[in-house]
Amino acid sequence: MNKYNPPRMNPSSLRSRFATRFLRTLSKINAQKPTSSSSPTEIFRRYRRIKAAADKSMAYSVRSRRTWSRAMLWKLRTRPCGRRSVKTSTIIKSREARKTRHEKQNKNTTTTTTTTTGEDGVVFGVEADELRELVPGGEAMDLYNLLDETAHYIKCLTTQVQVMKKIADFYSP
Amino acid sequence: MESNAGTTEPRSNLTASDGAQVTALESLHFTDEIHRLISAPVTDSSTSFMALLELPPPQAVELLHSSDSPKLLATSSPNVEDFKGSFHFPSNTGLIERDARFSGEANNSNGKRNSPEPKDLSANPEKAVKSEPAETESSQPLVSDPALEKRSIKRKDRENKVKGSTKKSKTAANESSEDAEKLPYVHVRARRGQATDSHSLAERARREKINARMKLLQELVPGCNKISGTALVLDEIINHAQSLQQQVEFLSMRLAAVNPRIDVNLDSILTSESGSLMDSNLPSLVMPVMWPEVQGNGHRQQYLHQWHVDALHQPVWGREEVCNNYITPENSLLTYDSSTNSETLHANQLKMEL
Repeated sequence: MNKYNPPRMNPSSLRSRFATRFLRTLSKINAQKPTSSSSPTEIFRRYRRIKAAADKSMAYSVRSRRTWSRAMLWKLRTRPCGRRSVKTSTIIKSREARKTRHEKQNKNTTTTTTTTTGEDGVVFGVEADELRELVPGGEAMDLYNLLDETAHYIKCLTTQVQVMKKIADFYSP
Repeated sequence: MESNAGTTEPRSNLTASDGAQVTALESLHFTDEIHRLISAPVTDSSTSFMALLELPPPQAVELLHSSDSPKLLATSSPNVEDFKGSFHFPSNTGLIERDARFSGEANNSNGKRNSPEPKDLSANPEKAVKSEPAETESSQPLVSDPALEKRSIKRKDRENKVKGSTKKSKTAANESSEDAEKLPYVHVRARRGQATDSHSLAERARREKINARMKLLQELVPGCNKISGTALVLDEIINHAQSLQQQVEFLSMRLAAVNPRIDVNLDSILTSESGSLMDSNLPSLVMPVMWPEVQGNGHRQQYLHQWHVDALHQPVWGREEVCNNYITPENSLLTYDSSTNSETLHANQLKMEL
């Protein structure tokens, strides 16, 4: 008989970090909810919270190493509750403002070059805007960094989808 | 003879110190020519030429002094030949050395301005040396001509080398400047037929970087390898990212809908999840299956109804990806309820698998 040894998991991989964080928040959300929650509105509210939790846990797993994670964290912090944690949001906002200003300067200097360089620059100008909308924090990035961030963002999204799918499969028969 | 006519002119120009030497060597024609050469650069403007001829005149004077008393008074053709040969040789080497030195300096410095300078430098000594054999033609034409040819060939080679080296130096300088600016970046060498402008080089480097990133993205996104053309690849990438975002939303909706029935111990979940996550990866066929379902309707509220259908569908092709060992406990958990018994059963079974 072949013995099945499950491969050892890397405790510091993105997947494990996201999984642990997300599960923790999920259990918290589940603990909070009332028992009678089959109405669509309740489910919708919970959906929003779970989605925010997923995004937040993913962004926290990446920390501040990536621009999109920083932008996402800032968005999550400032959007839902404006009344509390204003200090942190202002600090983050100032940091982000400085960063975006610096990046905008880069963008101004580079967008001109992107449009002037042959075909690639002109073509990228159209799709690059769509990419910027997709990737959080992509508005103030030059093309090269934008592609970099997109690659990492797609990688993180795939892990997020995988983990959530596993959890959903685990819970639902 | 013309040489006699020539002697009168420089004699009038020469200073008193030189006058004694000239009178001593009157018989030799070429000394006057040498003095003409020495005086010539004073009228000429280029300083490099002056620098070039710094060496020969003192050498010439030395040689004149050295060969003054013993040899020249007993003037005969062999002595003249020797002297000429010896005179030519160091002057030639001196001039060649100077030329080589200046061409070396041209290599070190940057830009196009160096290319005309070596030419000038080479042209002037060419003129100077040509005039030397010209005056000896009268006496020894055979010796001078091959020497002149050699010198001209040498100078041509040096000119070519200088031209090639300026090109190389430009690229080398650009490379070094690029390296100095961005050390960990890829070296860019100007290929044949491409502009060696610093702007175009930087642009080319940037384009290459962007193309490398595009290749990376192509590998990440499934199905992008076959597509050619950056615009289509970017469209594909954008679609992929959008689909992933929507999948996250749907999954969170699903979790929100499904979860109220579940209350499981966290530790067991974590261990089970860690085990299950390691085993299987999301296959590409899963996403295309999701995609048409997504495109079916655009309203969020309707998704709740759809998910009941999805929940039925999911286990069917969800199990394709899950490892075989996990199918059996999930099958046993089909009759799942929120009681603690089922929780412990679930957790225990999953722990067994691990």
